[in-house]
Amino acid sequence: MKFVITAKGNSWESPVDERFGRAQYFFIFDEAQDTVEVVNNSDINSVEHGAGPKTAGAIAGLAADVLITGNGPGKNAASVLQKTGIKIYTGAGSMSVREAYTAFKSGLLGQL
Amino acid sequence: MKEIVVISGKGGTGKTSITASFAMLAGPEIVTADCDVDAADLHLLLKPDFRIEHDFYGGFAASIDKSLCIGCGICASVCHFDAIVENDSIYSVLPIHCEGCGYCTEVCPSLAIQMHDRFTGKWYDSTIKTQGRMIHAKLGIGADNSGKLVAKVKKEARLIAERLGAEIILIDGAPGIGCPVISSLSGAALTVLVTEATMAGFHDLKRVYELVKKFNIPAGCIINKVDLNREIAEDIRDFLKSEGIPVLVEIPYDEIFYQAMTAGKTIIEFSHNAIAEKMQKAWSETLALIG
Repeated sequence: MKFVITAKGNSWESPVDERFGRAQYFFIFDEAQDTVEVVNNSDINSVEHGAGPKTAGAIAGLAADVLITGNGPGKNAASVLQKTGIKIYTGAGSMSVREAYTAFKSGLLGQL
Repeated sequence: MKEIVVISGKGGTGKTSITASFAMLAGPEIVTADCDVDAADLHLLLKPDFRIEHDFYGGFAASIDKSLCIGCGICASVCHFDAIVENDSIYSVLPIHCEGCGYCTEVCPSLAIQMHDRFTGKWYDSTIKTQGRMIHAKLGIGADNSGKLVAKVKKEARLIAERLGAEIILIDGAPGIGCPVISSLSGAALTVLVTEATMAGFHDLKRVYELVKKFNIPAGCIINKVDLNREIAEDIRDFLKSEGIPVLVEIPYDEIFYQAMTAGKTIIEFSHNAIAEKMQKAWSETLALIG
């Protein structure tokens, strides 16, 4: 399974970015390959309106199976993500990336 | 550190008067942020000192280099916003009309048109009358609020809260249900919904709550002007009950909201009165909700 976790930094210990649309980084973990890739999404800071759908578009291109985030995407962003078939889990806003992954594994995160 | 966001959907429900009262009751320990930048008025009640100011740029505006312009007028013919005007075969951009789409730069045969960052307004780091800190912003003429500006105000408020060790950030949220209000809600620990017992108040409460629910943010509700319409007040109570939203307080219609505002004071300072007591109760209940 391939995970995308919205993060404020680029490591396993970084806090999850509770914001979806203006998430600073995507922490991408490929379980099968055991590889981590980090995408810097901070260009989104300069976008005035519609940050959610833009970020959703960027995530759509990552071909991941699971998205873990904080508050979750808004309506427009969610409709973009739905088309990709990615499963969305929220409620990880106060966790680190590692804690969020563990919480998902333990079934502690809610699916949207 | 927890963010409490006060929102209403509808304007005129008393959101800002309530936010200002909360800031007053909370004292210097919290950081306050005004994300209602379109109609920023929290500063009228909390009297910030505008101590540090920064420019804010958002979006783009076109400008025409007159030395390169050949006066063909193609730019003016494609502009959907009538933002390009001609005067003696010289073309120029009306910045207030320009929406920043950039169509003109694409069609200009002499590459005379440039897009540049648009000055949107200023944001401030202030100390308010409680001696607490407040982050707020002022838009320039013709500029509008955006998710970007709200995100900036919130980010600066968080940095200050971190530095001071403040546990609570109190946010006067943006109006409506669009981009700025989504940006206000993002990362919040609790929303305080302010409504009033009118048809529009109830309608907009339901609309904005849909958004809050989508983001899984816990909420409490203040029903202001509860005696304006008993039936609607009852409908609001039923709605809140069915959604599991606690009522923080019910406030009857009272002229003191206007009198305090006219005097540039929060209701708490204005006088000892029944409304101030209700504000106190609402703030205690709010704190109890975030634990």
